Amino acid sequence: MLEFEGLHKSYGANRVLDGVSFAVAPGSMFGFCGSNGAGKTTTMRIAMGLVRADGGEVRWQGRPLDQALRRRVGYMPEERGLYPKMRVGEQLAYFARLHGLDAAAAARAAEHWADRLGLAERRRSRVEELSLGNQQRVQLAAALVSRPEVLILDEPFSGLDPVGVDALAEALLEQVRGGVPVVFSSHQLDLVERLCDAVGILARGSMVAAGPVAELRRRESGRLLRVVVPDAPPGWAAGLPGVRVVSERAGDTLLQLAPGTDDQAVLAAALRTGRVAHFAWREPSLVELFREAVAEPAGEVAA
Amino acid sequence: MTSSGPRTPGSAALVRLVAAREVSSRIRDKNFIISSVVILLLLLGTMAFQVAVTSGDQASRVAVAADDGRLGPAIEAQGEAVGVAVEVVDVPDEAAARDAVEAEEVDAALVGGIGPAPELLLVDRAPALEAVVGGAVSGLAVSDRLLEAGVDLQSLPQVAVTPVGDEGEDDGQRVVVAIIGVVVLYGLLILFAQFVAQGVVEEKASRVVELLLATMRPWQLLAGKILGLGLLGLGQIVVIAAVGVTGALAFDLVDVPGELIGTVAAVVAWFVLGYAFYACVFAVAASLVTRQEDLGSVLMPATVLLVVGFFVAIQAAGDPTGTLATVTSFVPGLSPLVMPVRRAAGGAAGWEVALAVVLMLAAIGLAVRLGGRVYAGALLRTSGRTKVREALRAEGI
Repeated sequence: MLEFEGLHKSYGANRVLDGVSFAVAPGSMFGFCGSNGAGKTTTMRIAMGLVRADGGEVRWQGRPLDQALRRRVGYMPEERGLYPKMRVGEQLAYFARLHGLDAAAAARAAEHWADRLGLAERRRSRVEELSLGNQQRVQLAAALVSRPEVLILDEPFSGLDPVGVDALAEALLEQVRGGVPVVFSSHQLDLVERLCDAVGILARGSMVAAGPVAELRRRESGRLLRVVVPDAPPGWAAGLPGVRVVSERAGDTLLQLAPGTDDQAVLAAALRTGRVAHFAWREPSLVELFREAVAEPAGEVAA
Repeated sequence: MTSSGPRTPGSAALVRLVAAREVSSRIRDKNFIISSVVILLLLLGTMAFQVAVTSGDQASRVAVAADDGRLGPAIEAQGEAVGVAVEVVDVPDEAAARDAVEAEEVDAALVGGIGPAPELLLVDRAPALEAVVGGAVSGLAVSDRLLEAGVDLQSLPQVAVTPVGDEGEDDGQRVVVAIIGVVVLYGLLILFAQFVAQGVVEEKASRVVELLLATMRPWQLLAGKILGLGLLGLGQIVVIAAVGVTGALAFDLVDVPGELIGTVAAVVAWFVLGYAFYACVFAVAASLVTRQEDLGSVLMPATVLLVVGFFVAIQAAGDPTGTLATVTSFVPGLSPLVMPVRRAAGGAAGWEVALAVVLMLAAIGLAVRLGGRVYAGALLRTSGRTKVREALRAEGI
């Protein structure tokens, strides 16, 4: 298991992480979501030893991640970084060697990953001569080239075209099938939903929701009701007791019901407005789960 | 599951990897290749110039009319004695001599040399040549007269020449060697310390430093960078020294090879100390900024120190025992440039050199310790310019 436990971090009065905990099983993919500035990058940097946590630790197979153990982690920083004037092949081999591969194995691994990620033709090019998309592939290859036991990737999909996204997704799934736990952060929630076994939603320095996507859905479903009433006047549901209007567009209404609220009373109210075209409990999408989770709770103001 | 997995490289292995990368990427760098070639060409040019100046005093040609076989050798011997190369050309008579001078085939012509009224014909006055010919003619005449009077010339006393102490012509030569050495030293210190600084900023600007620090500690990165470029710099100064010494010996530009080699070795040794200090200071200064454009301003203080050291060293060549030279030859940072010149000029005792080395080593130790902390604190601050105090306060990672 890759375990993040009780991570705390403050910069002066600014509390960035306030007890972030989650675990990623070998061979599973963990999607890390959160608004900008929620602390995703700080969490990953703590794991990589680039930021020192005020409290808590990150463990791999029960041992705290230290400098030696980190060499088995493939890392892709949010701020992409490669030597601009170094050739692709040499650069990949260099990073493989820093992770402990010997010269021959590093050269083989560099060649393999350049081929795998469609960079075979560009192995002798300098990184600065490549397109941004190709630079991104080199960055990923740099994370994979050392045959890592763990992958920690900060926004790996940002800046990729759809073909690049598919190639990267395939490469990550292959790692997962090989038993590697993969943690990646992303704002592309549809991707997270499609790829990940589990997600964690970070807001205001702590995990507000974490677990398998299906489980999160189940937890939230039974509360969202979609009612389509084409003839209803705008705001038809606003006054119903125990009901919050999540969205309403031309009669297509999404309602959140407080526990104990009678859905049949909502149906009765809907029927009073005229024809009811659709009335059903709805499985929330990850986007909705996310919005729900990161929404600033009323009455609590961030310091 | 990691039976065939990678081993964990130790500190030495990581430092070696970083150093190897620095060497291999720098050695293919255009700026490096050009600067190396330029320095070698300058050195060879200087030596060629020296050769041209010493041998290139072309021998003055003197035509001697109707020589009886004694005047020619006498003039050449006299010329050699006073350091003026003279070549004698025999011509049959005065008319031929006059023609030769007018045609500028010779610089001067002596007619009636052993007669009662010798005459030197020339186009341009040449005092040295006139003195040589005059001396030879009168010397010959005097010995003829004395011989006629029965005086034994063999019994005349001769002056023996014995150089005393360190003072003398050798010092001059050593100082010249030391100045050339310091010019090379200064150039290489600036060049390689700049390389280190550029490398540090390149890693920060391209953000690759975050990837590097996920696998190693800041000091390992710093040590590898300084060692790698330092070996390259040492290699370059040794090549320059070897070419310089070989050239100087081959062209016979120095009188005492042992002292030449001693001075050159001292310069090389001071390069090692100076580089260790300046590379560290430059690297730390560079770690405070994120863009190559900002490099000039943070490197300014250290660069000024180097330039001051250079000019004091040049000044010390003329006044090796003056207060300025004496004091600065102990100041860490200035000593690598000033002390070799003072030593070569004979102005420094052995204990003074030793003290300067010890002070320099202490300064290097301090620069490494303090610099390492600033470097580690500033490396991941990729926004704008970091203040030294902030970097020192920042958590070490």
